[in-house]
Amino acid sequence: MKPEWELWAQEAKAEFPKANSALLPLLHRIQSQEHYLSEDTIRDVAVLLKLPVPYVESVASFYSLYYKNPVGKRIIHVCMGLSCALNGSDELMHHLEGKLGIQEGQTTPDGEVSLLEAECLAACNLAPVAQVNLRFVGPVTEDTADQLLTGEVKS
Amino acid sequence: MTQTFYLLRNQAVPDIDRIEVYEANQGYQALRKALKEYEPKALVEMVKASGLRGRGGAGFPTGMKWSFLPDDGRPRYLVVNSDEAEPGTFKDRELIEKNPHLLIEGMIISSYATGAREAYIYCRGEFLFGSEQLKRAVAEAYQRGYLGENILDSGFSLDIKVYRGAGAYICGEESALLESLEGKRGNPRLKPPFPAVAGLYGMPTVVNNVETICNLPPLVENGPEWYRSMGTEKSPGLKIMSVSGHVNRPGNYEIPLATPLRALIEEYAGGVKGGRQVKAVIPGGSSVPVMTKDQLDTPLDYESILAAGSMLGSGGCIVIDDQTCMVAVSARLLKFYREESCGKCTPCREGTFWMTDVLERMEAGEGTPHDLDLIRDMADNIAGKCFCPLGDAALGVVVSAMKYFPDEFEAHVTEHTCPMGARLYDTVNH
Amino acid sequence: MIRLTIDDREITVPEGTMVVDAAQELGIDVPIYCYHQALGPLGACRICLVQVEKMPKLVTACTTAVQEGMVVHTRGSAVDKGRQGVLEFLLINHPLDCPVCDKGGECFLQDYTFQYGSAAGRYDEPKIHKLKDAAINEFIIIDQERCVLCQRCVRFMGEYVGEEQLLLEGRGVETVVSTVSHQPMDSQFSGNVIDLCPVGALLSIPYRYKARPWNLERAESVCPHCPVACTTSVTSREGHVIRVEGRPIPGHDWGWLCDRGRFGYDFGYVEDRLLNAWLDGEITSAAESTRTIGSWLNDTLEQHGGDSVAFLVGGQQTMEEAYQIRRFADEVVGTSKVAVSRSVKGYLPLGLNGTFEDLDRADTIVYLGQDPYDAVPVVHLKVRDRYRDNPGLKVIGIGAYDLTRSTVPGDAFVLEPGEEAAFLAYTLAKVAASNPIIARLGEELGDFSPTFKGAKSEQEVETLGRQLLESEHLVLLWDGKDPHMESVLLALRGLREDVTAVLPTFGPANWRGFERAGIAVDYDRLEAFVEEAIQGKIHLLFSIGADLLRDYPDRERAKAALAAIDRVVSVGLFFPEQRELYHAVIPGAGWSEVDGTYTNMEGRMQVAKATVQPPGQSRPVRTYLGSWAHALKKSFVLEPEWDPFDHNAGDLIAKDALPEVQSVPKPARPAMKDGALRLVGTALVMEGGMPSEILQPRIPKYPGRISLADASRLGIGEPGGELGLRGQQGMISVMVAVDERIPQGVLVLPYGVVGSPLNQLGDGAVVEAVSLEEVSLR
Ligand SMILES: Cc1cc2nc3c(=O)[nH]c(=O)nc-3n(C[C@H](O)[C@H](O)[C@H](O)COP(=O)(O)O)c2cc1C
Ligand code: SF4
Ligand code: FES
Repeated sequence: MKPEWELWAQEAKAEFPKANSALLPLLHRIQSQEHYLSEDTIRDVAVLLKLPVPYVESVASFYSLYYKNPVGKRIIHVCMGLSCALNGSDELMHHLEGKLGIQEGQTTPDGEVSLLEAECLAACNLAPVAQVNLRFVGPVTEDTADQLLTGEVKS
Repeated sequence: MTQTFYLLRNQAVPDIDRIEVYEANQGYQALRKALKEYEPKALVEMVKASGLRGRGGAGFPTGMKWSFLPDDGRPRYLVVNSDEAEPGTFKDRELIEKNPHLLIEGMIISSYATGAREAYIYCRGEFLFGSEQLKRAVAEAYQRGYLGENILDSGFSLDIKVYRGAGAYICGEESALLESLEGKRGNPRLKPPFPAVAGLYGMPTVVNNVETICNLPPLVENGPEWYRSMGTEKSPGLKIMSVSGHVNRPGNYEIPLATPLRALIEEYAGGVKGGRQVKAVIPGGSSVPVMTKDQLDTPLDYESILAAGSMLGSGGCIVIDDQTCMVAVSARLLKFYREESCGKCTPCREGTFWMTDVLERMEAGEGTPHDLDLIRDMADNIAGKCFCPLGDAALGVVVSAMKYFPDEFEAHVTEHTCPMGARLYDTVNH
Repeated sequence: MIRLTIDDREITVPEGTMVVDAAQELGIDVPIYCYHQALGPLGACRICLVQVEKMPKLVTACTTAVQEGMVVHTRGSAVDKGRQGVLEFLLINHPLDCPVCDKGGECFLQDYTFQYGSAAGRYDEPKIHKLKDAAINEFIIIDQERCVLCQRCVRFMGEYVGEEQLLLEGRGVETVVSTVSHQPMDSQFSGNVIDLCPVGALLSIPYRYKARPWNLERAESVCPHCPVACTTSVTSREGHVIRVEGRPIPGHDWGWLCDRGRFGYDFGYVEDRLLNAWLDGEITSAAESTRTIGSWLNDTLEQHGGDSVAFLVGGQQTMEEAYQIRRFADEVVGTSKVAVSRSVKGYLPLGLNGTFEDLDRADTIVYLGQDPYDAVPVVHLKVRDRYRDNPGLKVIGIGAYDLTRSTVPGDAFVLEPGEEAAFLAYTLAKVAASNPIIARLGEELGDFSPTFKGAKSEQEVETLGRQLLESEHLVLLWDGKDPHMESVLLALRGLREDVTAVLPTFGPANWRGFERAGIAVDYDRLEAFVEEAIQGKIHLLFSIGADLLRDYPDRERAKAALAAIDRVVSVGLFFPEQRELYHAVIPGAGWSEVDGTYTNMEGRMQVAKATVQPPGQSRPVRTYLGSWAHALKKSFVLEPEWDPFDHNAGDLIAKDALPEVQSVPKPARPAMKDGALRLVGTALVMEGGMPSEILQPRIPKYPGRISLADASRLGIGEPGGELGLRGQQGMISVMVAVDERIPQGVLVLPYGVVGSPLNQLGDGAVVEAVSLEEVSLR
């Protein structure tokens, strides 16, 4: 457990009337530091919020943005929604897979980049759209696709 | 093209997300008016009189929803649904990213009207920027005295909290949203009790869509008659339509209800890309049945679209051109529902899984004629039998596509290939 | 009340009833997976679809509450098609491996598939593969592929028991049931999920591949392990008990069991089970031993008369057997010396005895001396059930350590050991000193005042007093240890206007049944028997299903008593402790081997059927009694007209008049040296109890429990360690672990731990920690 988590937990709890509500925000905050939620992290969060471990485990496993396994520092989500598909997202995904030498759902062996499918990202006006560490990029054209891999990363 | 700007009117103003700029553009005037000139009950009556219907998908009359709150002295909550994840819909994201104060102003008015002292915005997990914008705007509003104790000396107090989900479409369903807001798995709740009676933390709760609430400032400024001067008797007012797919100018367009679909596509969104023809339109987000090119003159209002066999839904209008394979479209959407089923109930969990497999197999040229009956029967076994509306939502496009484009489905299973030459990402290795 | 029509038949049911339950009352079966009355509606599986007139869609019968004038159809083409669809969906990711599944023949999935005939074989996509055959603890295996995600198991453990040891992991079609961080579940209620699972996803490891439904027999029984006597169903095959399941009794009992009750059934087959007769340390035939014992009886009667023969009975016998023993003593032997072997001294007058229904209605529940979770586990579930129903339930723990736990939060009064009765008398005097009954109670208390471990204010004591007097439905669960408590309980009954019900949590399991059979169970009897034995007044003892050395509170005295008797005969399932003190040990038949009636802690009589034959040379007690009567050439009719049931009181034993309130003496506080500990005995169903190979891996290695402060002082770390103890009467060593509920200066040890006999030092004794070498040199 990192020393600052205690404080983060206090802050999350202070914001909501019930401790449970603090769970999602705290998981987000810790994950943004740790990149993923290990079993130990889940236990720590349970302790911090005085929630049963299985409860935290079960909740975390429900949401697709909580990662149970390590992911890359750069997480690329390619939207596979219908509007994006109509505008070439399949091709974009293939292109990135080729470039990175990995399949969708995987992380590069050096642990730098994870390539993930996203369901419709509610940015169909930017189709085909992607997110890099949850920051929108789009429309991604053949020419700009590679910027997904190299552009500045925010987290 | 006649663009009516109310909700989107300031969208292009630089820095409209800053409170000074928002204020300089009449921002928070409606709030002042509401607090000064109206009793809460009168505001509820105004919303009723305007005929405003919820913009989150179901189109439920907002004023009526507000009046369901029991008058029993328990604390009440307003929860704004900003989980926008219905494929094809992207209006709420634009509203919160570009003009967050409009929502906040609408929320303060709505909370005042409904007697909520605490309000939440449930943002979709992927809306990292949107939630940051909201948090910043909320902080600004506190600073200027629009939030907190005794707002503008009215005696009314309100706190707003911004909450971010973590990736689950089902959390857009209001009861699953409340579960998620309480830090649980986003499984829908058994109803009754409805949120109005037992919602967030078991207290009376109003859940409204972002766009619904954004209607409040212009409504207070201009009054219900103005609102009713647009649209139809049962669908008055304005609606933001998110247009995407094969159009030249994808984007959000605010239209008076009952504007014809054709006008939306051709005038607002600049027509179909590459000079091709419309084959099908999903008018209200991926959960509604498709419409065909023969139906383009349908007015975009709740009743007319229903009469045409579809629904206005959330206003996510996906335009599909004549070179697109409808089996591929169906498969892609089914996969979405398979991924997003919460897994609680059998027909939704297993049915979307199976149907996706069959459609992807057909798209990959490995279908058999028997598959067509199978899909229809599966759809029948899902329809009306799920715990929440997600299961039914999964069926809208596929069932209607099979009805309107039977030949295309037939061809896939008789010729074992896609006549449009399409191949889906996931089926490439099928 | 609401009137509605289901399948053209009218029924009236209470408001809030679900359609599925209303149908059940009419005997109409609506299929269910996820629904369970104890867990409430969920609406997940969708198999219970029915048609309600005027509703546009089919509805789920488990989530639809009845409404006046509702017209329901539970069958019909739409309903059947809907259910067929659900079944087909459930089967697509199911491995369809019924031929190798233990649930085959008892599976809801299989049954409904036969009934609704699914359109089998339409699914030919690849199935999702999940975990198969993975143990989730020592007793239970999970097959996630067979799971229908009804969530019964998850909800039972989490919502019902309050021990969240199972969870849903993942989302959508990838969702699985799993344990916490994939660690074994250790709740003592874990086995219930096997009964709850409607399909073959959660299966019993000990029962695995042992039988199929067509080659087994099932008999209704009750659990012999503790005074709750849960209703069970015993499965046997080829003369062996191979499974115990809970047996729900609609409207009365959910049929939950604790893991001791569910998996501890193999005590009949463990290596130590007596299969032969032993005479003076040598194996003999059954015939030889009975003949010899018969001649001992004959000789003793001739030489010393009937009163020189005594009978000591333990916890294993049925009421009918107890009745036979008493008659044999009376009519054949002519002795009045029949005592019950016990470890606690208290007695509860039948007139105070409450029932489990009192728990269902209680607004205040008091634990006296013991946490029911440990001694009578399923009572804990009943209390929790009440708590779920009525979150305002007051729970109060009064004892030498904190008796409450998080699953049913309560208020704990932690006292000096053995001062519960004095404390309550003191407390009552605080709020109603002028009342003559209370005054009588406190006559001998003198200047007693309680000391609390962990602060309690005078105010809190007064509040407790008022709660005791004024609560609307008071239930007390008493461990029977402090005999003066009887008067406190009588006083409460006498003073209170509303219901006062006491449930005795102490054993032996069937003591109330012995009483009904005419055997006095009071501790004074046992004490008198021991005294007479020591004085040489007993020449022949029949110890039947008893083990004095293990049970009796003072081990040295028990030894002296047995040693002073000329001939000691033991009839039982196992060798008694220190078998050299016995002249004959003959194998008895026990639970599941004899038909009979048992009375539980409510005073409720329940019949248990025999399912198997006694193994080896073991025989039912009545057989032995018959042959000994024969040896004396006396006639002893084995089939008397005795029916334990009293037709006016139903299955409850009729109540009798209550004794007078006596005063509670001021407790003596022994001097404590620095670092000394007080020993506190407790009944633990898991730790103490009959041997079981199945349960062995689950029996805690560290049955003794001490505070963190004492543990660190004594150098006991995680997970526990061994401690030498010296008291006035000797030394023992005991495996201890930390329990945060125990206050400093107290060591809690279950009765009957093999190798660490509490009664060697004495319950309540002051002991000192000594080195293990010192203990081994003793
Ligand atoms: C599966 C599902 C997803 C939904 N997603 C959303 C959503 O993303 N945003 C939204 O406002 N409403 C969504 N809804 C509708 C909400 O349940 C609810 O009706 C709405 O938030 C009410 O607000 P309104 O009355 O202002 O429309 C969804 C409903 C379902 C069944
Ligand atoms: S394991 Fe059994 S009880 Fe648990 S969810 Fe699966 S089917 Fe239901
Ligand atoms: S999506 Fe989960 S039950 Fe409908």
